[in-house]
Amino acid sequence: MTMAAHAADTAITVLLVDDERTLREPLVDYLVGQGFVVLEAESAAAARSILREKKADLALVDIMMPGEDGLSLTRHLIETQNLPTILLTAMGEATDRIVGLEIGADDYVTKPFEPRELVARIRSVLRRAGRTAAGDESEDAHYLFEGWRLDPLKQRLTDPQGTVIPISTAEFRMLRAFLDHPRAVLDRDRLLDMVQGREAHLFDRAVDNQVSRLRRKIEDDSKNPHFIQTVRGGGYRFAADVTRVPG
Amino acid sequence: MARFFPKSLLGQSLLAIAVTLLIGQAVSGLLLYRAAQDRRDAATVNAAAFHLLRMVNRETDSPRDIRRALRRAEPEGRIDIGRGRGERRRGLPPRLSGMIADASPLLPGERRAAGEEAQLREILARQGVSAEALVVTIRPVAQDTLLASLADEFPRFRARWRDGLSEREVMVAALRMPGESRWIVARALRPPLEAGVLWLIAAQTVLLFLVLLAATYLVLRRITRPLARLTERVERFARTHEAREPLPERGPEDVSRLIAAHNLLEHRIAALLDEKDVMLGAIGHDLKTPLAALRVRIESVTDETQRARMAETIEDLRRSLDDILSLARIGRAKDPPEATQLAALVASVVEEFEDMDRPVAIAHIDRIVAPVQVTWLRRALRNLIENALRYGGTAQVSLSREGSAAVIAVEDEGPGIPPEDMAAMLEPFRRGEASRNRGTGGAGLGLTLTRAILAEHGGELRLANRTQGGLRAEMRLPLSA
Repeated sequence: MTMAAHAADTAITVLLVDDERTLREPLVDYLVGQGFVVLEAESAAAARSILREKKADLALVDIMMPGEDGLSLTRHLIETQNLPTILLTAMGEATDRIVGLEIGADDYVTKPFEPRELVARIRSVLRRAGRTAAGDESEDAHYLFEGWRLDPLKQRLTDPQGTVIPISTAEFRMLRAFLDHPRAVLDRDRLLDMVQGREAHLFDRAVDNQVSRLRRKIEDDSKNPHFIQTVRGGGYRFAADVTRVPG
Repeated sequence: MARFFPKSLLGQSLLAIAVTLLIGQAVSGLLLYRAAQDRRDAATVNAAAFHLLRMVNRETDSPRDIRRALRRAEPEGRIDIGRGRGERRRGLPPRLSGMIADASPLLPGERRAAGEEAQLREILARQGVSAEALVVTIRPVAQDTLLASLADEFPRFRARWRDGLSEREVMVAALRMPGESRWIVARALRPPLEAGVLWLIAAQTVLLFLVLLAATYLVLRRITRPLARLTERVERFARTHEAREPLPERGPEDVSRLIAAHNLLEHRIAALLDEKDVMLGAIGHDLKTPLAALRVRIESVTDETQRARMAETIEDLRRSLDDILSLARIGRAKDPPEATQLAALVASVVEEFEDMDRPVAIAHIDRIVAPVQVTWLRRALRNLIENALRYGGTAQVSLSREGSAAVIAVEDEGPGIPPEDMAAMLEPFRRGEASRNRGTGGAGLGLTLTRAILAEHGGELRLANRTQGGLRAEMRLPLSA
């Protein structure tokens, strides 16, 4: 339990909870190098006692720990402090991810991860936390449009017949951006900004490419799109009504 | 024939019982039939003997006398030549039963009944009648010239004749006393065989079979019921690998011990599988955490090419580890298959490769919906494409329908696989020569994992060399209507 930080007042404070010292040490160094303030805990109990004295902006929690496990700690952190949380895990199964997200974790990173990606996720989670702080409708609510359904938790898209349409994470983010702003014109910069996340490098390529892929999956005729329409003067618009229902 | 042979224990037991019973009943039926035959023959011989003895004591009627008597009696209806109709009247009229004849009644070429002759001779001897000559024959009534001519002459007799008499047999016995030239001829109708006996046997067989069937069914049910439940249980366990509360130990001891043994086995296997899962989780955790630490540490390597290479090696390690863990975990997946648009699935996997600037293209794609586990199938396809890129440089992916199967094919332009190595390629830790020399990528679990994933879907993986060079790997998924 050390405080490895030298920080400006504006620096983001990250609480890192992992029982493995071998990982904790280099990760602290890296995050500090990236300008974060890092609080270290080797167990859930240590994390709880640190938080009694100090304040963190975000927690990085390893799921598999001796004693109280990471899921239980995460539940506690979210319930008591509404602390944005990213889970670290050695498993990689979709079901584990969903369990983590269901108890309210904001994101999920599988070991071994690219440190740069971890930083991108931290920033993205904090950005989202800032946006949704005002008490938005539930993050988990499903999106419905003309019989289609998007489950944001499982990133699962089904067509009106209930058939699963597999989409990539990038496509999911873009579709969600459209569904969050139905009938509004979104220009390329705005879209890029909203969907930027883990696969940020994808968007070095054109947004248009991603849009055309998404069209191929949800449009009957991607040359003559019904849902995602091109707006002259640069941009796209989702041309259907969207409702949200609890998942 | 084999088609009708019962397969179940109950069916085979019942068949065996039925066959045994049938053989036993057939033997006793035969014996009873023979006894009935003997009884009938003895009765006929006795009747013939009676008529002969009657005639010996009262030698009067010659055929001429009979005719005269008949002719006389006919108009008045006095002579008894068969008053009633039908079989109730068994015998012939007394005047026909015994008569005097000038010659032996044996027709030319007619066979003598030796057995009956011996019996008759014995009876006559016991009554103190010694025969100089004795002739016995059995002939159909229709062939008896005397009876036939009488039937022609007398309408009443003709009526009886038509009423079934002509189909019966008659025993003709002729006796010549010592010093006599004339024959005493007796005629006795053979009674028809009592068919009732056979019906009785058939009824008895059916009754016995029904009783045995019920008894056997009750006994066997005590065996087959617990067995059926055990079979169902074993089948389900083979599918799910999930232990449930132990099966109750029912039935006879042989069966209940088997059930107890199965319960123990199931419990042990489930425990082993659980242990394996826990162990794999621990291995995953123990290896991935230091790997994660290493991945973070290399960020401080300043030489960018070195750092990229290190990152690549770590990525390879991670992928191998994932393959090993997945292979061990497959079949225990918790999520059921879902109806999925395969076209979108194939496209999304191909696009991942496009994003990494790998030369993967879609050659042909149909819209096909099939029930699959999306994550696993994605993985299987990713493995095939990675293999194609590793050994063949490029990959062409297509999705099409062939009969009742969806076929996702990945083709490359590499060297293909020598036919003799084709089967071995699907074994774990096997890699094409090219990669071993280059020392790149994977633990060689890719194809094994893909095959296991397809097996889990009820499909199969097919490898074939293309005629124009390169390998074609096909994932065939059954389309349940």
